[in-house]
Amino acid sequence: MTIRSYDDMNLQELDVMKEIGSIGTSHAATSLSKMLQKEIRITIPQVSILGYEEAVDRIGDMEQIVAATLVKMSGDVGGLMLFLFNLDFANTVLEKMIGESYSGFETMDELANSALTEIGNIIICSYINAFSQLVNVDIELSVPSATINMLGGILTVPIAEYGYETDKLMYCNADFVMDGKNLSDWLLMLPDIRSLNEILTKLGVS
Amino acid sequence: MGKELKVGIGDMKLSRGDGTIITYALGSCIGISFYDPVIHLGALLHIMLPARFNATDPNVFKYADSGIRETLRKLSAFGMVKSRMVVKIAGGAKMFEISGNSDFGNIGQRNTESVKKVLREEGMRISGEDTGGSYARTMVLNLVTGDVVIRTFGKAEKHL
Repeated sequence: MTIRSYDDMNLQELDVMKEIGSIGTSHAATSLSKMLQKEIRITIPQVSILGYEEAVDRIGDMEQIVAATLVKMSGDVGGLMLFLFNLDFANTVLEKMIGESYSGFETMDELANSALTEIGNIIICSYINAFSQLVNVDIELSVPSATINMLGGILTVPIAEYGYETDKLMYCNADFVMDGKNLSDWLLMLPDIRSLNEILTKLGVS
Repeated sequence: MGKELKVGIGDMKLSRGDGTIITYALGSCIGISFYDPVIHLGALLHIMLPARFNATDPNVFKYADSGIRETLRKLSAFGMVKSRMVVKIAGGAKMFEISGNSDFGNIGQRNTESVKKVLREEGMRISGEDTGGSYARTMVLNLVTGDVVIRTFGKAEKHL
């Protein structure tokens, strides 16, 4: 069956996306662990197909300030990857990387901002590497773009980009656990509908 | 302070008399406030895309063209007089800049252009505007005074 929207996926197809999410996230955790020289565990990934407002509620609230890195995919799979994290996550990572922590995103300097962009980039790239090997596709990634702003505004980017195709988001959430502390982050892998069908066909579920 | 009505994405609320209407975190979307100062009638519309191409799509408020027209139709039913209406717009930001791909995320600009075009066609003048940039905006319309407040991250509140 051809899928026309994210919420057309059946349980088996969702399971496949969950498995991809799990493999991708563990690769991402490994990269982060190597960079920070720290043991990092991940919680069991959840994959959900959510509307815009549900996604905002799940992560926080509309006006909450989060850091985000966005990368555009092209090649065999087109779409967007969006990685979001909160201040707690940012501070834990920055403490290890540059030995600083900040009272809020607005107090961060250039060095902290570029370190955070890089973290997002590394996580997205290792996720995509694992994914493209698993599915056997070539994916090109754009230069990462980062922002720190209101959650509600950031999540409208993929919604508006695909607004004529679907009004749902596919989101994979697996917390990183470092030093016994849960660090929340959210990864949104958003293949366009054509690519989603291709992925599922390649994996033999569609 | 009276009641506070919340407007979601691709949605519109209208009310009369007192309280406020609020829409949170407009990114590339656009918030359009309409206010008739004589009868204290106001509406806040939150559109996401420039135009409705599929005439059977029931979600009229998602699009600039169908959203503005439907809002004006509803306001007329409540007694608004077009010549008295004060219209203000906010949003249309470009949240992410991807180098080497300047087309990406231009939706905010296209939304702004479409909103202005439709308002012009409807004979409405825009009396306050805060659009563009790379940050999200929360927009609040006060139904008593008609005042519109814009909240952003790391900047002072702005009155349109």
